[in-house]
Amino acid sequence: MFRVYLKELLELTRDRKTLIFTILLPTLIMPVIMFGFAAVTVKIANKAVTEELKYAIIGQQYYPGLVDEIKKDDSMQLVDIPEDKSAKQYIENNEIRFALEIEESAADKLDNKEPVNIKMLYNDSLATSELIYQRVNKALKDYKQNFILQRYEQLGLTESQGKGLNEPFTIVKESTANERESLGEKIGGLLPYILIIIGLSGAMYPAIDLGVGEKERGTLETLLLTPVSRFSIVFAKFLVIFTTSFVSIFLTLLSFALISLTTGDLMASFFPDPVFTEKTEQLITTLSGISLLDIFLMFLMLVPIAAIFASILLSVSIYARTFKEAQNYMSPILLVIIFPLIISLLPGVKLDWFWASVPITNISLAIKEIFKGTIDFDMLIVIFVSTTIIAGALLALCNWWFQREQVLFRS
Amino acid sequence: MLIVKNLMKRFRLDGKTVKENRKKNRNALDPREDGIWFNAVRDVSFSCGAGQVLGLIGPNGAGKTTSLRMLSTALQATSGQIMINGEDVIAEPLAMRKRIGFLSGTTSLYHRLTVRENVEYFGRLHGMNEADLQVEINNIFNMLDIHSFADKKADSLSTGMKQRANIARTVIHRPEVIVLDEPTTGLDVIAAKSILDFIESYKGGDVPLIFSTHHLHEVEKLCDKVVLIDQGVTRFDGDVNDFRQISGNSSLYDSFLKLVSDKEVKNV
Repeated sequence: MFRVYLKELLELTRDRKTLIFTILLPTLIMPVIMFGFAAVTVKIANKAVTEELKYAIIGQQYYPGLVDEIKKDDSMQLVDIPEDKSAKQYIENNEIRFALEIEESAADKLDNKEPVNIKMLYNDSLATSELIYQRVNKALKDYKQNFILQRYEQLGLTESQGKGLNEPFTIVKESTANERESLGEKIGGLLPYILIIIGLSGAMYPAIDLGVGEKERGTLETLLLTPVSRFSIVFAKFLVIFTTSFVSIFLTLLSFALISLTTGDLMASFFPDPVFTEKTEQLITTLSGISLLDIFLMFLMLVPIAAIFASILLSVSIYARTFKEAQNYMSPILLVIIFPLIISLLPGVKLDWFWASVPITNISLAIKEIFKGTIDFDMLIVIFVSTTIIAGALLALCNWWFQREQVLFRS
Repeated sequence: MLIVKNLMKRFRLDGKTVKENRKKNRNALDPREDGIWFNAVRDVSFSCGAGQVLGLIGPNGAGKTTSLRMLSTALQATSGQIMINGEDVIAEPLAMRKRIGFLSGTTSLYHRLTVRENVEYFGRLHGMNEADLQVEINNIFNMLDIHSFADKKADSLSTGMKQRANIARTVIHRPEVIVLDEPTTGLDVIAAKSILDFIESYKGGDVPLIFSTHHLHEVEKLCDKVVLIDQGVTRFDGDVNDFRQISGNSSLYDSFLKLVSDKEVKNV
């Protein structure tokens, strides 16, 4: 059996497609996704914060004080828009990034100590729109604060009394979840999704190659003529597919672990003075908080999943008459596997005893919990054992399938 | 000595065919079908002694390949007996595989391995020790003139080279019976000659060799015995000269055609 296993592995390593799907893709995909995401976000944020913002003010005459104040900001350039043109059009044509529209009654309202409405026109669909809004507010922050203080003074109030007048009480949010748990809840589902899909794609090509591929090339029958039991042959093939699936997952997790350990340093070396968005900072903090034990537990949860994939894909591959037929069967299998994965991504679906009994969904949710650092170890053991039993049953089924002449010599 | 007795193999027809057969008159069915089962091999018997070369002939779909596949243990016989030197192949297929060398159009080499790696792999799977294996490889590679392409990957070889390498794979474990299913099909004259020379080298040796073919001149040139199968039944089992006499002249072709066209008379 071991000899068959080694030979199959040797053959696979000589195949370029297998190397791409099982080694190159999983090794690169996590760095590209995680580091790429952070790097691109930082780069965009840096640009949004430092670039010169062109803007327009409509109704400048209604509130000259505010206009003078915003003009003081050198990082922004005021553009005049002819009266017959609309600011919206200028924004759509990227000639300006935003426009402030001051209401006509601004002066009266100021006199009556009523709030003045200033409309900010900007393209909210741009990734950096929030940063533009922050820059405008920042430019006017001191002006606004001084204005408020002047008014408090006119009313004979201290700053604190003024604030109390404005907001008699405030509710301060304080989450019991730490940053890792909070971010894990939001994006933790993505990791098992990627890992499981990688495990599946790592198994798919070798499964087709070792089953129907051998049938088509005529090497399966040659192998069946050797004094090696059919169970040993099917088990060796299962192990090879399991190995490739597992290697794919392992490489993905390894690159993920390396990213977790080095993201901070890497980001610092690429962006010495970065402007991190809140989410990027949270991501970096979360990744840095994932321990090797967490990585090991994720790895452990994926072992039976890889075995399930190997059994199912080998059974299908052995059944198919041709490579093409096998590929046709793979699409519905992919859907059947992705469906429980998508369920695990739905809001409100959390790891409880019900979801712990749903194959694949349970593994996905368990990995998410590990990512969040909130895993219930009793549940983890139950999920691992139940998934391993399913994998064993599927392997037995695959073996039974492989013994049938109608399947092996199907024509 | 190889003895094949009353060999039978049936396959279950697929659901669609069974449904269609239900609508048909029983007389309209293929004589090998009974509505649910297809009897690919109904009654095949022959024997082949050590040093004999047996030519298995018959029209397409006669049941030759199915019979040989049962002989090789790839397929399990529904009933009947296959004995090699007194031991039952059907009862002990796993153990008997070490004693059979089988080659057909559906038994190929691993194309990402070199010829040497292929032959070594199958030798090891047959339980050969390393020293014996290397000696045997050297002998067979000499005999089949393989050394010049021994370290080339199988997928880079010509059809003739592949077939020679495949024969090396077939006999590397020194089988007690050699079975070749249409070994010269698709080969050019030179490649076919090298295969036929190889078959001839077994004449008078201590191993029975059976090969199926559609080329009656190969039977005429090489075979001590000839077996004709048609519609899953042995129509003839005897020596080549007796086969010749069937048509009353010296032509194997005429005898072949006479036996095949007489099938309805002799149908079992």
